[in-house]
Amino acid sequence: MKSRNSTFSLRCSLASMLFATLVVSGCASAPATQSSLEGAKSQLAELQSNSLLANRAPVAMRDAEQAVKAAEQADTGSEDGEHLVFMAEQKVRIAETRAWERYYDDERQTLIDERDRAQLAARTREAEQAREEARHATLQAETSQEETAQLRRQIEELNAKPTEQGLVLTLREVLFETDEYALKAGAHADLDRLADFLKQYEERDVRIQGHTDSTGDESYNRELSQQRANAVKEYLVSQGIAPQRIATLGRGEAMPIANNDSSAGRQLNRRVEILIENPAVATTGRRR
Amino acid sequence: MFLTPIIRRTSIAAVLCTISLLSACAATPQRPSSALQSAERAIATAEDARAVQHAPLELRQARDKLAAANNAVEKDEMDIARRLAEEAAVLAELALARSEMQVALETNKELKNTTDMYKDELTRKKVLNRRAGESS
Repeated sequence: MKSRNSTFSLRCSLASMLFATLVVSGCASAPATQSSLEGAKSQLAELQSNSLLANRAPVAMRDAEQAVKAAEQADTGSEDGEHLVFMAEQKVRIAETRAWERYYDDERQTLIDERDRAQLAARTREAEQAREEARHATLQAETSQEETAQLRRQIEELNAKPTEQGLVLTLREVLFETDEYALKAGAHADLDRLADFLKQYEERDVRIQGHTDSTGDESYNRELSQQRANAVKEYLVSQGIAPQRIATLGRGEAMPIANNDSSAGRQLNRRVEILIENPAVATTGRRR
Repeated sequence: MFLTPIIRRTSIAAVLCTISLLSACAATPQRPSSALQSAERAIATAEDARAVQHAPLELRQARDKLAAANNAVEKDEMDIARRLAEEAAVLAELALARSEMQVALETNKELKNTTDMYKDELTRKKVLNRRAGESS
């Protein structure tokens, strides 16, 4: 269907080109004063045998036929004979032109149908695309909402406190034996959750700080707190977290969060704090 | 300088002589009014159909023929005037046909262009979609 149409329109455009050439050459070679009866007759015969045009403009065709007949019957060479030949020539041209006009008119509905089909196809495609994009956008929004919600849940599970620098997770002394820096078995559950979290959010680094109470030698306390921080780091590394993402620091008794006078206060001070850095902080102010 | 008036007078005399001879020959020298009017009407119709733009050659030939017909009337050559007027009319008719054919052709061309535009749009979108599909 499509190829037949295009072959058809190709043939038409070829024909109209040929026609234009004929008209131009006709005008150039046969000025009004040099009319030729033979030319008019052959042009008419050509038109009558052209299956594309022959039946398109019957009235103009009959006019042309009559004009040619009148020219044939006139005295050749006489003024009136010349005149009738000129008239016949023009009438044949008019018939041909009218046939072409009618041809284009007849072709039009097909072209309108083709255009409408193409337009519909383009618009349908456009609508489909818009729908697809909208669906995609909704999906993305849902995904990011889902991710945010999931992060919030996980933070809650970690029992971490959001701060300006990031999430702060405090591990109490109960994770370690007194004066020991090896992790108790019970500490693993908390740290496993942290390891999972760090695996999922690879853009976040951690800083681990160890703290003690004020009992005992200060340098000993700093050393102990450093080793406790290191123990946490080692465990995280053993769970598959890259060591370069983890910084450790032993602060000793320098940063108490409670009064060291009571045993309850001292217990609060013996702790490990883990800062899970916010992604933006991690990229701008990275400290190793 | 002195010769000019003499020449002019001579040619005027010659023209007058010819006219009187011709009118003597012609049986009934009647002005071809209806043929002239038909030609004028046909030219006006062609002009209305924008023949100046679509068939300038034929329109000019028609006008020239009409002018020649009017000249012939001035010279009392009524047979010639009638033929020229008829020729002017048929040329104007051709100019009109050419114009209307041109308009029909251009309308179709525009339709084809629009169809092509939509088809291009469709192909372009398909290509873009395919690329987007590859990259994601």
